[in-house]
Amino acid sequence: MAFSTTVAQKKHVKRKAPRGFLKRVFKRRKPHLRLETRSDLLIHLNCLLFVHRLAEESRTNACESKCGVIKKDHVLSAAKVILKKSRG
Amino acid sequence: MADRYRPDSEPTTRTLLQRVLDTADLRTPRRRRSRRTLAQRTFLESPASKRLSSQTKTTTRRRSHGARSVVRLAHVQANGDLEEQTPRTLLKNILLTAPESSIVMPDSVMKPVEVSKVVQSSRQESSQGSLELQLPELEPSLTLAPGLPAPGKRKQRLRLSVFQQEVNQGLTRSQEPPGNADVSSLTSSLSLTFATPLQPQSVKRPGLARRPLTRRAVDIGALLQGLRDNSLASAPPADIVLEDTQPFSQPLVGCSPSVHHSLPHPSHIGIEDTERAVSHRRQSIGPGQQSHKVTEAVGSQEVMEARKSKESSEDEDTSGRPAGPELASSTPDLLKTKQPHQFLEPPSLPPGVAVLSSEPLESMPVRLPPRPRTAGPRHHQDPYKAGLSYYAKLFSFYAKMPMEKKALEIVEKCLDKYFQHLCNDLEVFADHAGRKTVKVEDLELLMRRQGLVTDQISLHVLVERHLPLEYRQLLIPCAFTGNSVFPTQ
Repeated sequence: MAFSTTVAQKKHVKRKAPRGFLKRVFKRRKPHLRLETRSDLLIHLNCLLFVHRLAEESRTNACESKCGVIKKDHVLSAAKVILKKSRG
Repeated sequence: MADRYRPDSEPTTRTLLQRVLDTADLRTPRRRRSRRTLAQRTFLESPASKRLSSQTKTTTRRRSHGARSVVRLAHVQANGDLEEQTPRTLLKNILLTAPESSIVMPDSVMKPVEVSKVVQSSRQESSQGSLELQLPELEPSLTLAPGLPAPGKRKQRLRLSVFQQEVNQGLTRSQEPPGNADVSSLTSSLSLTFATPLQPQSVKRPGLARRPLTRRAVDIGALLQGLRDNSLASAPPADIVLEDTQPFSQPLVGCSPSVHHSLPHPSHIGIEDTERAVSHRRQSIGPGQQSHKVTEAVGSQEVMEARKSKESSEDEDTSGRPAGPELASSTPDLLKTKQPHQFLEPPSLPPGVAVLSSEPLESMPVRLPPRPRTAGPRHHQDPYKAGLSYYAKLFSFYAKMPMEKKALEIVEKCLDKYFQHLCNDLEVFADHAGRKTVKVEDLELLMRRQGLVTDQISLHVLVERHLPLEYRQLLIPCAFTGNSVFPTQ
């Protein structure tokens, strides 16, 4: 029995994955490659985790500098670290 | 006892003293009973009753014995009251025992008893009448000096005793209104004696009379504290400004110094970046604007920022800001309205945004000349930016802290770089696997290399954590009835 991909009661998904956007981006950059149907969800998951790590790092930076607001330099320093970490 | 049946509207000193008046000379029988009750229960009443009992032993005999029946009743009451042990009953007991110092006999004995029961009892035995009055007052005052509890109260007793001597000598007992019976009053012996027994009781046991007072004080204090905490933590600045009621003036004043402390920080840290910070703080300062110094600090900060503004957008804001301090000094409401205006200005920074975003866009066309362009830069920018801003919003959610708009733009740039890396890696992995399609295994390998998927944390765990149900069902194979698994492997 195949399970329906949508829930019967509510069809409203919170935090929808921008599947079209991701596919378009991938296609733009690597037109010779194809993206599997479910892998873009995992790409979305990867993006979420990346943003999560970035946010944590920049929040740590902001708290260390005893700022109540996240500033550019906090994000920049956090991005340096996380991008290095995220390199496959 | 009449007072027993009398409705106790409030256990005020006044009523208590009235009761004392009614129940005059209840010492003798009360003494004995009080002793017993004390033996039964050593609690608040015990010190008072002890004193009273010791006093009653010696003095009451001489004074009067007519109130025995009344005393018995009172004693009975006292027994029952002791068992109940409510402030009212305790006060009643005090009153019942207190009358030694009532109109009938100016009892300075009451005071001395608290201090040193033994001394007083001895004194009482020795002296009678005025002598008794004087000696107990004098001696307890002397005995107060040697180690006795509550030296501060001793001082009061000393003063009271001295005064009482004079009063007792000169005057008969004049029933002062019970209100004067408080510590401050020195006019009536009764009041004096009443005050003194109360104090030691409070010293030895949690004060009978003070219990309700302390409760009220604590409640009010706690209430104010809670108000302050709420106003500081939960209420957003706008709400506080809107409320702007007197009760909040204190918490706002209380929080204004804290806000004031936070104010110097942005000035020290980086003024060029403190636009948003100041705007944020000004909102937080909104409630604190009631304190003039905060507004002045805000004005000074704004002026400083006006000097250090660098970009056109900042100029726009600062142009609004110099007008701000004038308004700030005038009324907090005007500032409050100004803040939303200034906040509206930063979001509507299309020139700044375009300047910043054009940089990555320019890099894109340079890097991808062979790529088929669908509709030119506009097409590229808008949906692309829209998608990136989607993730940038998630960033602000995850951060749980206020952020600058410039920081969000940097996040978008970061995401762009990240997508580049991502696509390159996936290409390499797919190529390594000899495929031209990126599959789930490639993604899993990527996440493992990134350190997101470990031996402890599997991909499915991450999927369950971060993705909504619909996607989870798509990604994680699950068994269904009929020997089917979805999604099929």
